[in-house]
Amino acid sequence: MATAELSLKLQSGSGSKVRDFLNANLINILAAILFLLLAFFLLYPILAVLIKSVWGPDGFTAKYYYSFFSKKYYFQSLSNTLLLGMINTVVCLVVGFCLAYMTTRGPWILRKPLKIISLVPLIAPPYLFALSLIILFGRNGLVTRMFDLQWQLYGFTGVVISQTLAFIPLAFMMIESTLMSLNPNLEESAYDMGASEATILRTITIPLLAPGLLKAALLIFVMTIAEFGNAAILAGRTPFLAPDTYTMITGESDFNMGSVLSVVLIAPCILIFFVHNVLLEGKKFTTIGGKPVASEPRKITPLIKVPFMIVTIVAAGAIFICFAVVVASSFYKILGVTNKFIFSNYLDFTSNQAIYNSIRVSFVAAVIGAIIGVLLSYVIVRGKFFGRTFIEMVSLSGFALPGTVLGIGYLLAFSAPPLKLTGGIMILALNCVFRFLAVGVEAGISKLHQIHIEIEEASADLGASFLTTFFRIVLPIMFPAFIAGFIYTFMTAIVSLSAVVFLVSPGFQLAAVKIFDSAVYGEIGIASATTVKLILIVMLCMAILNFISKKTKVGSSMSRKGVA
Amino acid sequence: MDGREAEKPMLILKDIHKFYGNNEVIKGVSLEVKRGELVTFVGPSGCGKTTLLRLIGGFTDITSGDIILDGRRINDLPPNLRDTRICFQNYALFPHMTVAENVGYGLKVNKWPKEKIAARVKELLEMVELGAFGERMIDKLSGGQQQRVAFARALSLEPKVLLLDEPLSNLDANLRLVMREEIRKLQERLHITTVFVTHDQFEAMAISDRLVVMKNGLIEQVGSPIEIYEKPANEFIAAFVGYVNFMDGRIESVEQTTRNTVVSTAYGKFEITLEQDDIRTGDEVLMVIRPESVNLSIDCKRSGKNILCGNLKTYMYAGSLAKCTVMIGDKKMIIDQYNPRDAKHFKHAEKVEVEIPRSVHLLKKKL
Repeated sequence: MATAELSLKLQSGSGSKVRDFLNANLINILAAILFLLLAFFLLYPILAVLIKSVWGPDGFTAKYYYSFFSKKYYFQSLSNTLLLGMINTVVCLVVGFCLAYMTTRGPWILRKPLKIISLVPLIAPPYLFALSLIILFGRNGLVTRMFDLQWQLYGFTGVVISQTLAFIPLAFMMIESTLMSLNPNLEESAYDMGASEATILRTITIPLLAPGLLKAALLIFVMTIAEFGNAAILAGRTPFLAPDTYTMITGESDFNMGSVLSVVLIAPCILIFFVHNVLLEGKKFTTIGGKPVASEPRKITPLIKVPFMIVTIVAAGAIFICFAVVVASSFYKILGVTNKFIFSNYLDFTSNQAIYNSIRVSFVAAVIGAIIGVLLSYVIVRGKFFGRTFIEMVSLSGFALPGTVLGIGYLLAFSAPPLKLTGGIMILALNCVFRFLAVGVEAGISKLHQIHIEIEEASADLGASFLTTFFRIVLPIMFPAFIAGFIYTFMTAIVSLSAVVFLVSPGFQLAAVKIFDSAVYGEIGIASATTVKLILIVMLCMAILNFISKKTKVGSSMSRKGVA
Repeated sequence: MDGREAEKPMLILKDIHKFYGNNEVIKGVSLEVKRGELVTFVGPSGCGKTTLLRLIGGFTDITSGDIILDGRRINDLPPNLRDTRICFQNYALFPHMTVAENVGYGLKVNKWPKEKIAARVKELLEMVELGAFGERMIDKLSGGQQQRVAFARALSLEPKVLLLDEPLSNLDANLRLVMREEIRKLQERLHITTVFVTHDQFEAMAISDRLVVMKNGLIEQVGSPIEIYEKPANEFIAAFVGYVNFMDGRIESVEQTTRNTVVSTAYGKFEITLEQDDIRTGDEVLMVIRPESVNLSIDCKRSGKNILCGNLKTYMYAGSLAKCTVMIGDKKMIIDQYNPRDAKHFKHAEKVEVEIPRSVHLLKKKL
């Protein structure tokens, strides 16, 4: 950058001083504007929640927190949530590890299909699993009726199962990428020295993956406890923090308690963030890199192979069945109850209206999100100002924050003048922009890291101003990142539920909320059809993204999505 | 070990083929490696040398053929049951273990008692001159030290064959020279049969008893470094092991007893001493003229046998040698002049005399 600035100064002889100042400081001005946006749309709503949790009608008070920690119901809610998080994390980690081990170490022929099945849930809204569990095991479920079972799906078990299935892909992706990054020669060396498969796993693979596994575990824990949809649909009378927040706001209009619940939900996230940083400090193993190659399949001993295969097949089968069931159910009023094949679920007016609204909101969000994402990543990578890492941290934080927090935050922050946004499309779009900003920023950062600063310096050296360089050099190179950010924001926004559920107004329904409502009211056919429509839209986006990433090779950076 | 035992080859490869899908990467390789010998697979990237090494190590299954180690067929044995140990290009040292734990890993998984492990590790580390480094973590070592640890680890279980996959390619040029001497010294001292893989032909020539030059999954030639360099079997090998000037020619006459041979070319006739038996009068041949074998002198006054007159195009003085380009008619020749004492004069010379030695190697052209 120094050279760029120097050459800017050198060629500025003829220009006015104002222009020179702008030229030299544009990046800082840009950073300031972006920071203001982040502060206003991300930090302020969070702050609003924090304040609301300690600010009653009579000013500052701790009574809401006192109430939270003294009432048995809330304690139940908290312990259920934490227990759910722990069970989910462990199961997802085990399943994800088995799947990833098979797709990176197993026989060639199994690798691709297993990988596809493991990643398929990414194209679906996470609450698809709640829906399919209702179809299979609900009070009128296929399996329930077939075997005349007397069980209760609604409650802890249902939530755990649906959440686990929903988070397997994330676990798989993160573990797979760490497994892939492990130099295969390490395991081969151990094998060469006479170690058995189990010994290699115990002494080499798992110790070396430990930091990656821990990171995956923490992220999954944070995301499962904050996940709203599955718990809200399947919890029944069992309290969980995220859906309780929702009922607190929409049912009882108790913003103070709702805020307290949100803060309690953030607390573990922040705690874990620090634990993660402390634990992983200096734990990065560096080795001399060779050419990383795909591990050749080994003769895996049955002792390892059989249990791994069982886990893998059960998980893959469950995922497959859930999808199949939702697709099938979309053609019946209630699958298993009314056995008449119908198409009307797809023609339902409110559903299509909701889909249309969702597309509009997601599109606006994607445009704004991609632009801000590209600009932010540029400022973060190339900027030299104080607080750069802080901006990076803030812009990536939306992803890890519980959606309910930003939902309530937006309600609190933007429902009164001077900035009344509630009731319109903008509040929904902006909410999505700042929640999912991480994706666009990450895409931009990884793209920028591929571009040598010398390219920009060369442009400046040839006499181009900062703006010319930015528009003629940086933007064209960043374009793939922009598109990636656009499509990812679109895809994520269109299926997201936990924040927007607070923000939709009666006249402006969104698809995700429509599915949620239909599932809760038992309109399973319509819920399924709407889900299928959403899946198709997401698949289309994926296809476009895939096409672009093949053309521009930006897609590889996308695998870091989960790390955000 | 009695005399006959010692003569039996340690490692035999019999018509090895390897397919990846429909892609045949090893196309029928046969080779015998003697006890205590250091054999190097050398060839351009993609020639199959590393694949062949991995096949011997057991990391990849062979499609057909036999691998025989010390008289025993080991085709179907996994790496942990083969008496071969590999040292990978990137060393593959376990980053979460100390130097001693790395070296002792094989002993530990093979259930050696603790005291014996400690003693053996100490012995190995002293052998590679890292006696004081046992408790260090791997990332606190330099590249050369890591290389030694990897070497010690591979030797820990006293393998019958040591496999080295481009072990020096991650070191800088000077260290590479030092390490290759050390590896060779240790290898000779331990008398351990070794298969070495490299793409660096000079490294290969410097370190090996025999070279196996490979190309496209096939062995092109097997021989000592001298044989490979001075009597390459074909154009590819001649060009691969160093720069070479080729000149087309035809055998005009062969004197049967002295093997004095006259080769006629577009640039004149040359008298050489023929080494091969399969070249006869009338054969089309390719003269293999090494840049350093040619004598260069200023001016073009002499005329005589094997002397050509040329224009000196470039003269790049580099201390121990000068690299020259000489045009003989339309033929460009690269000539290395070692110990260039007359550099000052050559700098300004135009006409030069080029003397082709009698020892020029001939390649018979395939019809």
